Amino acid sequence: MSQNMLAMILAGGRGSRLKDLTNKVAKPAVSFGGKYRIVDFPLSNCANSGIDVVGVLTQYESVLLNSYVAAGRRWGLDSKDSGVFVLPPREKADERLNVYRGTADAISQNIDFIDSYEPEYLLILSGDHIYKMDYDAMLTYHKERGANLTVAVIPVPMKEASRFGIMNTDEEGNIVEFEEKPAQPKSNLASMGIYIFTWKDLRRALVADMRASDSSHDFGKDIIPAFLADGKKLVAYKFQGYWKDVGTIDSLWEANMDLLDDRGELNMNDTSWKIYTDDASALPQYIGPDTQVDHAYITQGAVVLGDVRHSVLSTGVVVEEGAKVIDSVLLPGVRVEAGAKVTRALVAENITIGKGAVVGDAGSENITLVAKRVKGVE
Amino acid sequence: MAKIFGIVASSAPFIKVEGMQDYRPIAAFSFIGRYRIVDFPISNMSNSDIDYIQVYMGNKPRSLTEHLGSGRTFNINSKRGKLQMLFPQGSSVNEIYNTDISAYMENLEIIQRMHQDYVVIAPSYMIYTQNYADLVEEHISSGADITLLYHRVDNAKEAFLNCFILNLNRQKGVISLEKNIGKAKNRDIFMDTYVMKKDLFIQLVQEAKKESSMFTLADIVSASAADLDIRGVAHRGYFAAVTDFKSYFDANLALLDHKLAENLFRPDWTIYTRTTDSCPTTYCTGASVKNSIVSNGCLIQGIVENSVIGRGVTIEKGAVVRNSVILSYAQIGPDVHIEGQVVDKWAKVIRAKEIIADPAAPGYIRRSDNL
Repeated sequence: MSQNMLAMILAGGRGSRLKDLTNKVAKPAVSFGGKYRIVDFPLSNCANSGIDVVGVLTQYESVLLNSYVAAGRRWGLDSKDSGVFVLPPREKADERLNVYRGTADAISQNIDFIDSYEPEYLLILSGDHIYKMDYDAMLTYHKERGANLTVAVIPVPMKEASRFGIMNTDEEGNIVEFEEKPAQPKSNLASMGIYIFTWKDLRRALVADMRASDSSHDFGKDIIPAFLADGKKLVAYKFQGYWKDVGTIDSLWEANMDLLDDRGELNMNDTSWKIYTDDASALPQYIGPDTQVDHAYITQGAVVLGDVRHSVLSTGVVVEEGAKVIDSVLLPGVRVEAGAKVTRALVAENITIGKGAVVGDAGSENITLVAKRVKGVE
Repeated sequence: MAKIFGIVASSAPFIKVEGMQDYRPIAAFSFIGRYRIVDFPISNMSNSDIDYIQVYMGNKPRSLTEHLGSGRTFNINSKRGKLQMLFPQGSSVNEIYNTDISAYMENLEIIQRMHQDYVVIAPSYMIYTQNYADLVEEHISSGADITLLYHRVDNAKEAFLNCFILNLNRQKGVISLEKNIGKAKNRDIFMDTYVMKKDLFIQLVQEAKKESSMFTLADIVSASAADLDIRGVAHRGYFAAVTDFKSYFDANLALLDHKLAENLFRPDWTIYTRTTDSCPTTYCTGASVKNSIVSNGCLIQGIVENSVIGRGVTIEKGAVVRNSVILSYAQIGPDVHIEGQVVDKWAKVIRAKEIIADPAAPGYIRRSDNL
């Protein structure tokens, strides 16, 4: 390993706030931005940061996710000492099969895997954020500060701080207190759920945590408080740039819409930090003779014969003649039949909106999720 | 199934595409944005379960070599398969010596070592899809010595010039091959695609060499028509031959007919190409795009009509692009008006505000040029 740092992506959660979108796939495998899946972001960040070995901890509906991430070639993680390893719960010789009981437990159950690489540092990531980040720069900071744990933080508006895990720091950026969703936040530095641990320190804490009967085996609830109680050195690494939690339909829609701001804060076109994904082997996009495409983010394989305004269209989407798509995100394989109208909606993969049907509402507070076929109107 | 290996031939020296060919062989020409012409013969072979493929590289092979890479892109079995690039040295004395036969003679040992019984030879300057496994089956059951693929056209007077035509008898037996010099409308254009046994192929190559240093495979096949059972099989569907600049331009724009494009790109017959991991394309407010094929990674702020846009192209505010083929990473500056052009890769058109040609006689803007 070039940096002596191994990455582990926590990708086991269902993401139940994404409702029907995650009925059949785990949240990290949910489609994003026309051609990507959410997990492409941490994986591409790892590849671009020079991390060679990435473990992906999977549990919920993991068949698609497992087969997807196992092909490490997509992210260039396939050289000789490199790889992406899918780590679902395993039955072991001296124990029965245990599901992952929490984020920390998922790591604990894979101590043998981590030890086999003898890393000095362990990077913990989650599979549900959209951002570009150089983890190597964060590791440099971790080493410079001589920390046992470095937590990436991002300043959020103070009025929203109570929605996040908040890190209270001193002037030097040392974390003195961690509060999960505080009612009266003292700081606006939100944890991004990205941790660099010095492995031997974390290993010791995990072994103790496994034995603790009252633990919920969670990084935020158990491991970080234990590190603080032990007087370990915890530092906050301030991140600047685009970062978005896509845990809800509204936030997933918003993050897609942010892509319409081309070459914006999350510059997907930056060739020095590409986000890699599966190649779709589809034709380029085709824009028909009698259409209006006004402010859209469209990927290869889409066919647009109707009107599209302020929307994101994924691989294989078809918008038929006379159809209108406004302020919406159409995931791969969606077909909007002739004369149908989709407004302020997020349409799940391979869903067909029948002829003349109307879905979504321009005035609605929340985004309409369309996860079932919508019948046409005769 | 019969054991088959594939040969993707380089285009003959008498086929010249002004401008573009200064930079790469026709095989490496960009096609409707994200493809290269060579993707078609290789994907046809790969989809026909032909996993041993020889590609003859031709002049200026850099771009083609980079594109083909390890061959992994083309879904060729990584253990029981191989995409082999062959670099014939050719002759610098006179390019009339650089025939396909001379390239095969140079690599005869490699061809002799192939352990498959049959060979399919396909061109790298023609665009079509064809199941070669079916074609070989048809070849075997017909009992023919050689099977040639052809396409019936009704515009041979003005198109497909420099291609060969097949003169067929009523039983689809090949009487002879001759160059199309535009004498008649309705012709059976030879698609430069052959099926035969490997041993016969080697024999023909050696005979051609003995006959004349200028003989091509088509010449020796035509000369053998009296002695061998040579049959034509008709091809249906999209077919284009890039034999000059105009035909390259036309082949691209023809696929703006989306029904035709769907006929060429069927879900059960993937055309593979190398990905560049470019992001989706952004259509800005105020942009207007009609009847166009657009690749990923573009930023479109202007007007685009009846055009093919390659990857990573920027079309700035007030720019107008009509009836044009814009290759990857080109930039069309603010208020620039372009019609009837092929703009080659990395070209920047900023100062020249109006470059307009009749699509019947399209213009060309050189690779990496600044205008």
